[in-house]
Amino acid sequence: MKPSQPMIEVCGLHKQFKTPVVKEGRFAGLRTLFTREYRMKEAVKDISFTISQGDFVGYIGPNGAGKSTTIKMLTGILHPSSGEVKIGGINPHHNRRHVAKRLGVVFGQRSQLWWDLPVKDSYDILAHMYKVASSEKEKRLDELGELLDLKEFWLTPVRKLSLGQRMRADIAASMLHDPDVLFLDEPTIGLDVTAKRSIRGFLKKLNSEYGKTILLTTHDMDDIEQLCQRVMVINHGKLSYEGTIGNLRDKIGLPTRIHVTFHGTYQMPIPKDLSLPVELGLDAEHTFQIVEASSHEIHIEANRQQVKAMDILRMVSGWGEVADIHMEEPDFEDIIHRIY
Amino acid sequence: MNIKYWLDLYVVLIKSSIRSRMQYKLNFILGTVLAAIVQIAEFLMIAIVLNKFGAVKGWSLYEVGYLFAVMTLSKTLYRTFASDVHHLENYLTTGELDQLLTRPVPILLALMSQNIRLMPGELLQGGTILYWSMHGLITSGQITWAALPYTLFIIVTGGVILFSIGLATATIGFWITRIDELQTLTEDAAQTAVRYPLVLYPVWLRSLLLIVIPVGFVGYVPSLFILRGEYGAWLVYGIAFLAVICLIVSLKFWKFGLTRYQSTGS
Repeated sequence: MKPSQPMIEVCGLHKQFKTPVVKEGRFAGLRTLFTREYRMKEAVKDISFTISQGDFVGYIGPNGAGKSTTIKMLTGILHPSSGEVKIGGINPHHNRRHVAKRLGVVFGQRSQLWWDLPVKDSYDILAHMYKVASSEKEKRLDELGELLDLKEFWLTPVRKLSLGQRMRADIAASMLHDPDVLFLDEPTIGLDVTAKRSIRGFLKKLNSEYGKTILLTTHDMDDIEQLCQRVMVINHGKLSYEGTIGNLRDKIGLPTRIHVTFHGTYQMPIPKDLSLPVELGLDAEHTFQIVEASSHEIHIEANRQQVKAMDILRMVSGWGEVADIHMEEPDFEDIIHRIY
Repeated sequence: MNIKYWLDLYVVLIKSSIRSRMQYKLNFILGTVLAAIVQIAEFLMIAIVLNKFGAVKGWSLYEVGYLFAVMTLSKTLYRTFASDVHHLENYLTTGELDQLLTRPVPILLALMSQNIRLMPGELLQGGTILYWSMHGLITSGQITWAALPYTLFIIVTGGVILFSIGLATATIGFWITRIDELQTLTEDAAQTAVRYPLVLYPVWLRSLLLIVIPVGFVGYVPSLFILRGEYGAWLVYGIAFLAVICLIVSLKFWKFGLTRYQSTGS
């Protein structure tokens, strides 16, 4: 397959949930059956996007924004009210089983494995389901076992695994049939730093070395920053942003913070009694702000879209002898908070 | 090759289901034994009642025993092979159906192989009553052993009919989620009712049990031919045809229902 071929195509996807108003009291079930009162909830409104083969895309949004609903429609679990999904050119709602063979799905909140059986048994069952030949299964499990450190709990029943172990086992299970596309719904939820790191490393490898197309939902912005080439932001059921993380930063335009420390005293070209923050500029278009000033230090906030850091530094170095400069890029969490 | 794949897979899934249950050995054994005891107690109670009243509306004790046994065996067949179809509600309320839907396996096959329950109690009870009643009927010269193949046949068609009713009822769960009360009506109550001859009931109830919930075709209608020689052998084949129709209709309804699955929030 050529790279840049569309792998996931979503066109005009809508999902409305229609739930009957639940009755109470005697024969509640029967009365609910015949009720004509419904509550409508629009979970996803007119979402369209395309993900190419080999992309690693983050899908983010606040709770209840419609992330899971979208993922469930992409995997064929839910049927959309309107619109179409194609995975590798096939519609998962008309050909669910066909598409399922090419998908790996991991739900962080829920294990896909056989709860009461040893980890190994789940792989045997899955290999049967996906028609993975046993030689191929062994080979792949060796590889996955190595990468994800599965051997230490190979014979432990799934219910006795720690969360980190379970997640690794789950990810391995989703990879057993060598799918083209991987859907990960919060794969790092509740994990400690080490476990997160090991899972991120593995996902990165899957994408860069094995060329898997991956769609990831998460609330962990480090996941997004370290893994994804592209992000899609959903809010209130609509896509509010789609593009690279860099563009997202620029679009939101949170300021970069610059801390400058001077040797000895310095002289700002503003009146001493002026209260901060003060706006300064090279000219009317290119401005930055001085938010704090102490005897040896000043804090500057600047929007890098408007003014270059070098220009600011050049100007500041004229005020005194600069000892140290520290720059802070806007925190990704803050950016996301702005979008939501 | 395809059929072989599904059969193999079914066997693998059943095996792992039983192995899962065996993880809790005491619970597994106790559950099976208790179910058997409950079945036997139930039968003893009915035997006492029937013994007291004898024939009902022209149906002898043996004939009623036959209806009872056929229903028990058909139901055992249905519940053994489709255990979790009856428990779809659990999957709907917890959203557990999601996992099954991400796999390249028909949902029905997945449900049929989950939490498999062996029902030796029911089998023993049904078999014993069947033997007892058929033995009695043969001794009195009402039927011959030739009725046995017909009986086994209608146990299977009955199982198919009960499965179809169960599946259709479960499918309604895709709209209303909670279906336990509906199941009480279409499965438990209906099945219990037709353990006795339908002539006992008023016409409206009879029609209900034949047309709306066709559970009357499990034991009562075929026994009119098998035990009493009414109508003709075509009755049994007609019922087999009806069972297939029921199955097709319920499967279509099921497929449609799946498109209405709403999952749960996460």
